[in-house]
Amino acid sequence: MARTHDAQSTLRALATYGDAILEAHLNRGNRIALNDDNVGVLETLEHHRLVWRLGDTEDLQLKNVLVRLLDHITESERRRFASAQVDRLWSDLNRLFVDYREAKKRAAFTDKLRIESEIKECLSEIIEDIRNATDTFSSYISSGFSYITDMDLRIRKNHEVIERAGQLNALFESFNTQDLADQAGNDPFLKRLLLKYLPAALEQGQKNLSYALNQLRLTLVRLREDQRLSKLVGGFESYFANNRGYIPSIDDMDLGHCPAPLNKVTPFAIIARGDIYDPTDDEDLIALAQTARTLGADQQGTEPAAALQTVEFDVAGASDPEEEDPVDELIEQLVQFVVDGDIGDGEIDALEALSGSGLALDAATWLSTLEAQIDSLAPNDQSQITVEYKSQLNPLYKDNLCITGMTLRRSNESRI
Amino acid sequence: MQTNPLFERTVSALLAGEIICEYSHDELYNYLLTQPVQQKVSDFLQQMNRTLRQTSSHDAWLCSYQDLSRSDAKDGVRQQFREVANHLEALVQFLRLVMMVEAAQRPISAGEHLREGKLLERISTAPSLEAKLRSLCEKDLFRTKRSDSAGQLRVVLENLTKAGYLKPIGTSGSVFLATAKWSWLYDVMTFIQTHEGIREDSAEDDPQLRIV
Repeated sequence: MARTHDAQSTLRALATYGDAILEAHLNRGNRIALNDDNVGVLETLEHHRLVWRLGDTEDLQLKNVLVRLLDHITESERRRFASAQVDRLWSDLNRLFVDYREAKKRAAFTDKLRIESEIKECLSEIIEDIRNATDTFSSYISSGFSYITDMDLRIRKNHEVIERAGQLNALFESFNTQDLADQAGNDPFLKRLLLKYLPAALEQGQKNLSYALNQLRLTLVRLREDQRLSKLVGGFESYFANNRGYIPSIDDMDLGHCPAPLNKVTPFAIIARGDIYDPTDDEDLIALAQTARTLGADQQGTEPAAALQTVEFDVAGASDPEEEDPVDELIEQLVQFVVDGDIGDGEIDALEALSGSGLALDAATWLSTLEAQIDSLAPNDQSQITVEYKSQLNPLYKDNLCITGMTLRRSNESRI
Repeated sequence: MQTNPLFERTVSALLAGEIICEYSHDELYNYLLTQPVQQKVSDFLQQMNRTLRQTSSHDAWLCSYQDLSRSDAKDGVRQQFREVANHLEALVQFLRLVMMVEAAQRPISAGEHLREGKLLERISTAPSLEAKLRSLCEKDLFRTKRSDSAGQLRVVLENLTKAGYLKPIGTSGSVFLATAKWSWLYDVMTFIQTHEGIREDSAEDDPQLRIV
């Protein structure tokens, strides 16, 4: 009973100090530093005889029994460095091949059988590691590194995994078929292992790995694009914040060689009418016309006006402010700006002013309103402004001009 | 001669200036997947000085002018550019707001879902995000007199839907799918960035984003 109790207590201690023990195993060569932070873990592990040291001032070392357990349970960690693991096992295997040949030469059958079994175990470990190693990459692909929130760190991790996959790939390629055949010689036991089982595992591993590498590279491209877009949006946000009212313009561009992103057409409406001249369409058109007439002529406009509930009388002296017309307001500002403003050559394009204002008004209405307003200015004010019209000949009526734009300029006489 | 409704709808949408992607016009996008169809549509458009183009991310189709030496084509391009340029600040502010709300490291991309409820929940719990939404609703593209966050957000999402950047999905009307018009906008922004020499933002410059 007491023995069971002790074992349970040891397992509980391992669970309690699991983080510190794993840290020591994975990153500190199985050593636990002798300092105040580790007093608890050291005392507990010493009590359960899981650490050892030679001198009192030396760091404590995890005992082999514990290290073997940790080796076993941190297999996932080993997979991360599978290329090194496979490499080490391959070296072990090469040593076993030498022993095997020696035992065979000396006709030491018992030793030969023992070494055969060791070779089988070592090779099965290699094959298992190859499978595990390539499986690990699929978890990176499915997660897309989304568990890392920072974009730069995510890209760095992706690079790191690609590099690791590259190392593994290089290791796979180092298993040359000719070398394996040379290694096997004429021995049927070695031939079966080296020319059948190992190449099959390598081929499968390489296939999975090349798929994983391709996917990882695609992820990297996507991450880089995400990073570029994020910086693009950030750059614009800062630029708008530092340059109030900034509106990009391409008016200075000739557009003879238009950049592809800008080349987008204006909407082209396709309008078709029913063919009233084709008798074969008559029936369809009649049906359409009948369904279109949803309201009888006698029913239109006969609704009585809703009766007024209350009547409000004006209070003496009260006045309702009239809403300012935004177009009038804009024209007034524009004229004031041309006369008073310091605008380079003292000129401004009417259409640019409209687009900068954000008013939803078509160009024709805007230009005619602007012209009418300038015409209605007092003669003194009017003389301060020169209007230049941009026009083009009407393609149908050659003596007509179509106005396509106006430039307002401060008159030379009015300049100081 | 037999009519082809899909061809008609595809060409009409392209000529109307719409951007065809698998999220905005799935049927038309699938129709345009094969090379012979692309050629047929392109041949038709070329007779009208137009051609079929793809965004740089290859996720959407749009119609471009084939010959830009003609003044009407140049005017058309300028007009289209002005429409984006006038609203660019508002669109950038929206993108940044969504990045902050979703704590995402990248702006919206085609096919992404936007849930009004989730956005509203996060915005209404952070005064700084509420202020950003308010500021957004002072821009022409999203202008509204609504003073509540829910109303403001609704106006923003509705206007983006009208402009073709979002498409409502499902029956609730509160889940939206981002279209590939964003990809086209990013292409235009990349051009403006190069043309106007706007510096890229570096992640270190934005502690606010990290804090949120």
